[in-house]
Amino acid sequence: MLIIKEQKINAFLEKLKEKFEVFDVREDKLPFKKYFLPAEERIFPVPKTPKKFVVFGLDLADLEALTQLDEIMSKPKQDFYYWQRRKQALVIGIEKDTKKLAQDYGEFFSAEGGSASGGEEVSDWSQQMRQLLLDSELLADAVAWSRDHKIWEELAEKCLGCGICTYVCPLCYCFSLEDRVGLDDKCSRCRKWDACTLPGFSKITGGHDFRPTLKERYYNWFYHKFVRAYKEYGKSQCVGCERCKNQCPAKIDILEVLKVILEDYGKSLSAEKS
Amino acid sequence: MENLYQPKKVKIIKIEEQSPTVKLFRLAPGFSFNPGQFFLLGKVGYGEAPFGALSSPYESDYIEFAVRKTGTVTDYLHSLKEGDEIELRGPLGNGFPLDFIEGKDMVLVTGGSGIPPIASLIEYIIKNREKFGNIYLLYGAKTPEEILLKDRLEEWQKSDIKVLTIAGIVSDLVKEIKIDEQNAVAVMCGPGPMMDALEKILRPLGISDRRIFVSLERRMQCGVGKCQHCTTGDKYVCLDGPVFYYDQIDKNHD
Repeated sequence: MLIIKEQKINAFLEKLKEKFEVFDVREDKLPFKKYFLPAEERIFPVPKTPKKFVVFGLDLADLEALTQLDEIMSKPKQDFYYWQRRKQALVIGIEKDTKKLAQDYGEFFSAEGGSASGGEEVSDWSQQMRQLLLDSELLADAVAWSRDHKIWEELAEKCLGCGICTYVCPLCYCFSLEDRVGLDDKCSRCRKWDACTLPGFSKITGGHDFRPTLKERYYNWFYHKFVRAYKEYGKSQCVGCERCKNQCPAKIDILEVLKVILEDYGKSLSAEKS
Repeated sequence: MENLYQPKKVKIIKIEEQSPTVKLFRLAPGFSFNPGQFFLLGKVGYGEAPFGALSSPYESDYIEFAVRKTGTVTDYLHSLKEGDEIELRGPLGNGFPLDFIEGKDMVLVTGGSGIPPIASLIEYIIKNREKFGNIYLLYGAKTPEEILLKDRLEEWQKSDIKVLTIAGIVSDLVKEIKIDEQNAVAVMCGPGPMMDALEKILRPLGISDRRIFVSLERRMQCGVGKCQHCTTGDKYVCLDGPVFYYDQIDKNHD
């Protein structure tokens, strides 16, 4: 493990930039996933493998998301285009809380090795969310149970169906394949981010739509993150990064949603027992 | 690294008009598949769409698909001529449970252009006819013109496949079926009215949900369990399906 003092980060980055293209994600609104799964990419004709590059500045939540995304893009088989970029990338994370670093990685270095300022706290929201995420089985059971809960009706009223939550989520990876014919008769196939909350996401030829209402699509977003993902990979596809809450134009707070569902799920369980 | 999105180019050997809107494409061989598995057909620039193979899985000279003209991809496919090439990915998905259905009576229910995977299954059954009991194909369509593969329907009856076609709703056919409901399997493939068939035919016949298999239609786009367009509940139709036990999927919200 390489530890760099905070004051020296910029000098280190300058040095890196001499050799590689460096993407610094610390100020980005969109998460790091765009470097491996771009918002839009041509997949046919197959593009050339990119030069080696550096993605700098992922925090711990992002690093966890990256680990999960790597797994998603490997099972059951490797996704060619994701790995074509991913394998070319050196990813550098940042841990701001040196005390925690010392706890977790004490065997590799001592706390003095970290930054002097250190100790920048993870937000209260993130801490609460990560606490819930520790029991992803409970989240899966509760969200599966909540299908007929009135909260989905309420959220469908509130939600604008814009898809921003999915674009800013480091673990949302829905996509569409879109084909084009150019005026020069050159054809191409592209892969673009899609969002399961957008209309027509599950529409088939002939017009039948399996999730015609926003209520169904919004529930499906939760269902994928907390139920389907749990059954597929044994954990929720959320790392508590807070982006969806911060960027939602309708100010939907998924932590509040989960709290309501968990509370009512708990009530229903104790009602069953008595 | 294998590129799962890379289609193969395959030559069209023969094109046959099946109905005013449906063409049958016979393609060059080179794919082995189970009845019920699907392929993505199309061309870069136009798109891809899922189709169940309809020819016999034992057929080594060609592979066949039926394509209904409904959108960009199928318009393109319909514009092709014999000798042209189609791009194809597959086989994808699981196919029918061939071991499980052995030794059983079968009721196959489909409608309109839902026939292809069932057709392939019937070819499989005919090749292994002694291993199966009574076989009924219930095939409905809105109009007689929409009944596909008419010549094959006649051919199959020679191998003791009882074919009951009806222009209208398939649920009118229940009286003609003689099966041992304790040892019978049902297979459904087709659009919404099939649910009607379930209530009005399969339940009255006494076939339990565990023995009813459905081949689902969804928007299988990537075909490899990534893009999320084809999910139903916690299942991926492209990977876990398209064939499911009915009680695996009947309670899903989507």
